[in-house]
Amino acid sequence: MTAPQRVVMMAEMHGRDLVRRRVALALLVALPLSFYLASAGSGDGAVATGGVGMAFAVAGAALFSELSSADVDQRLVLGGYRPFELLLGRLMFLGPLGLVIAAGFSVLMVAVSHPADGWLVLLGVAAVAVVAVPFGLAVGAGVARELEGTLVLIGVVGIQLAVAPDSIVSKILPFYGPRQLLEAGMTGTGAVAGPLLLSVVYAVVLLLLARVFVGPRLGLVSHPRL
Amino acid sequence: MQSSPDRQLVVSGVVKNYGRRRVLDDVSLSVEAGEVLALTGENGAGKSTLMRICAGLLRADAGTVHVGGRIGYCPQSPSLFELLTADEHLIMFGRGVGLSREDALSRGHALLAEFDFPVGRTVVTAHMSGGTRQKLNLALALLPDPAVLLLDEPYQGFDRGTYVNFWEHCKVWRAEGKAVVVVTHMLAELDRVDGVFELAAARGGEG
Repeated sequence: MTAPQRVVMMAEMHGRDLVRRRVALALLVALPLSFYLASAGSGDGAVATGGVGMAFAVAGAALFSELSSADVDQRLVLGGYRPFELLLGRLMFLGPLGLVIAAGFSVLMVAVSHPADGWLVLLGVAAVAVVAVPFGLAVGAGVARELEGTLVLIGVVGIQLAVAPDSIVSKILPFYGPRQLLEAGMTGTGAVAGPLLLSVVYAVVLLLLARVFVGPRLGLVSHPRL
Repeated sequence: MQSSPDRQLVVSGVVKNYGRRRVLDDVSLSVEAGEVLALTGENGAGKSTLMRICAGLLRADAGTVHVGGRIGYCPQSPSLFELLTADEHLIMFGRGVGLSREDALSRGHALLAEFDFPVGRTVVTAHMSGGTRQKLNLALALLPDPAVLLLDEPYQGFDRGTYVNFWEHCKVWRAEGKAVVVVTHMLAELDRVDGVFELAAARGGEG
């Protein structure tokens, strides 16, 4: 069996597992929705708040997918999977799922908030999903327990939402690019290529970071053969 | 390490510390093909730690482990996805060792049937009894047809019939030429194995 087949297998099984978690799936949609609706009446910032708020749900799903199966992952590696294949399998399922939620969410925001450029809002929310999955995987790989992971996640996304968009702190956090895209979508002005590229770079770096973090936990000691 | 066609697992001078606590102190053992070895010892003697080191899941602080072929490891508590069925586990673990869906299910069902697992039921593992989960846990260790089988108290939760059946299977594994290590506290079953290795507690530790 080839590596792509093992990655697809992991994606399929994570999909089957998550689809059976109906309450979690409902919350995955309801959480960013409530974020947006709660701030919808408070001006142009609602789209950025709701869009970036989606990172809580998508990154949270990736985080729990990683941490809840830590023991099984180790056994899967012993059974022939490579640690990076396990990460890619999760990415392969959660990434498209995040994009589907982003698409539905964007339609709602365009209908309610009437942004200047609806396509840019769609691009911004999609960028949130693209960054949020590897972000959740990196946090899940880097911390040992769910509480710590959740607090890191809340901290990073919360700070991204709380600080001024152009502050230095905002610029070094992972959702700066997506936030720029969302604000450009609302006003119809602002750079697109730069924030988009930044989002992709952040997603790749976070995925590689997840691979580095997961190494000590899932790496096998290779015994010499007799 | 001197090569021997019969030896499948050789542990030499393994030391493991957890912080300041020495759990394993210069442990050496070997298991040949077709041999079933019982690993015994008090709680905290380091039995599970030694099994994890042999499986390659944990690094020893000193010493070496040599193996003759693929390792099958059955952990003490089943490591399973809560919301996947037995068949889905078989397919997923089978893919890791290069089995197609059909082959994984065919081989997996045969293994599960040997331990009276209710094959064909589409129940997720979260809704299985402890013993049923353990049967799946054991089948997953056997799925790749390992040369070395490491079983860490694999019969927990088994009913009496399955428990007896498990020990009867030692004969099958012996005949198949597997090198088997079983962690056990069941002294009454030690006449079913070929050898007993008792781990003495080093200076305290986790079992």
